[in-house]
Amino acid sequence: MAATHSSPVHVNPGTYVVSKRTKTLFSVCIFLGVLALAYGLLKDRDRAWHAYLVGAFYFANMALAGLFFAAINHVAKAGWSVTVRRIGESFTSYLPLAFASFLVLLAGAGSLYSWTDKALAHSDHLIAAKTAYLNMPFFIVRIVVFFGAWLLFKKLIVGSSVAQDKTGDERITVKQVGYSIAFVLVFAISYSLFSVDTLMSLEPHFFSTIWGVYCFAGLFQAFFAAFILVTVHLMNKGLLRGLVNENHLHDLAKFMKAFTIFYAYIAFSQFMLIWYANLPEETFFYIDRTMGGWMAATASLFILKFAVPFLLLLPRWAKRTPAHLVFVSILILIMQYVDIHWMVYPNLDKERWLFGPLEVGAFLFFAGLFVMAITNFLAKNPIVPLKDPRVEEAVHHVVTY
Amino acid sequence: MAKKYVSGVAGIWLDDHELVKACAKVRDAGYTKFDAIAPFPVHGLEEAIGIRRSWIPYVTFAMGLFGAACGLLLQYWTSAIDWPINVGGKPFFSAPAFIPVTFELTILFAALSSVATLIVVCGLPRVDPPIIDPDLTSHKFAIFIPETEAGYDPAKAEQFLKSLGATEVKRIAEY
Repeated sequence: MAATHSSPVHVNPGTYVVSKRTKTLFSVCIFLGVLALAYGLLKDRDRAWHAYLVGAFYFANMALAGLFFAAINHVAKAGWSVTVRRIGESFTSYLPLAFASFLVLLAGAGSLYSWTDKALAHSDHLIAAKTAYLNMPFFIVRIVVFFGAWLLFKKLIVGSSVAQDKTGDERITVKQVGYSIAFVLVFAISYSLFSVDTLMSLEPHFFSTIWGVYCFAGLFQAFFAAFILVTVHLMNKGLLRGLVNENHLHDLAKFMKAFTIFYAYIAFSQFMLIWYANLPEETFFYIDRTMGGWMAATASLFILKFAVPFLLLLPRWAKRTPAHLVFVSILILIMQYVDIHWMVYPNLDKERWLFGPLEVGAFLFFAGLFVMAITNFLAKNPIVPLKDPRVEEAVHHVVTY
Repeated sequence: MAKKYVSGVAGIWLDDHELVKACAKVRDAGYTKFDAIAPFPVHGLEEAIGIRRSWIPYVTFAMGLFGAACGLLLQYWTSAIDWPINVGGKPFFSAPAFIPVTFELTILFAALSSVATLIVVCGLPRVDPPIIDPDLTSHKFAIFIPETEAGYDPAKAEQFLKSLGATEVKRIAEY
């Protein structure tokens, strides 16, 4: 077979144009977000940084999930996902901004992480024992190394996928397998440490060895919710016709359901072991989250992040009906916010469930940046990698019953 | 001796696309109990024959709920009523501790009853069904019209299958 491959698929997926409305929408979001964060920094510095961390982590997750999705599909040599892969890849266009957001976060480390307090680190024996890992220079090095590695893999995986659009070189598809295996391994370690550094170390006394997996479960569950929203949005605009249909949505929804179950499994595993072992240095994490207003948030995670989406995604028709999927996806995206808020905010206030204009503003700020990044990416690049040698398989994809 | 298997008329096809087209025509002609035999899954065949979705998932769901209830009640009765044991000062009825066993019984009941239902509904195991054509396991396809079809007439069915493009028509009988 020739080195270059001319695709037998001649369907035009259409070109995505960032509409004026979308541009206004994300500009307003970013503007309101900046106002809210600036006001928050002047009024209540600590709370502003907590709001910032939740938003920054939420969307850094999305960008990483996009890369992880592309990688696992290359590793599995998946055919069905080729026509939707570019949408997942578009999420990675936020990754440089995510890096910037975490560099900015370093300025707020004092408001977030009690271990940065030298006096406390000396007097508190448990923190003192962890200073070899939890210290500012090493923290900065880790953030830079993690994002550096992720950006490198984004360049390799997404970069060569885009390059294949022009050349149609089949060897790229073969090379992607190697890049992707390497990324999956790097991602497992770096993301675990990243979630431990940025979220778990908010409470330096606490430790949970499943923390990284817990964060990953939420990351991938919420990713498919966002993925489905973007896909349905493009389909509603009349794009992707003849390339993406309800069979692809069905498989994305199956993924979303699978990771809804996975999330519940990991969340319960973390809780049950801590509850059963009953060690004071671990149990306080859950005690804090069952006191005051926090019990409602904890219960909502079980009900609205697992039980309700699970039942709503159970029937076959549910996974093939765009309007229904949009509803479930929005629910999951809201609950992902509640989940990260639930991990971060008890550090600030153990009594009350703080949520107000500042939190909304901080979330809108990052949401605006994220939408800006992915819409620009989709407008700049073809929305379907039509020269991928497996595209034919994706076009004829059918989920049988 | 009673007949073990239904007899009928079978038409052989060599191309799966032709098979799907023929199935749609057989269905349009009013046949409802016919079946198609293929060596591999053929996309669109279920729709062409008019096979509706299986009702077994509802059995799975119901038996899953039943399994969950059994698991929870079993643990409640054994550790809180029949023989209360104090474990680490926790309540006798400690829901988190009971979740794993409840989960396992949910899966066990759901899975085993699905398989059992499938076996019963399909009349498995079928040890020696009449063989239409040994090549149906490698490269040939067939449509089988059983004698149980309303207004069954073997000569007419044979004629009909031939008109649809069957390369060969056979009468399958079991007496």
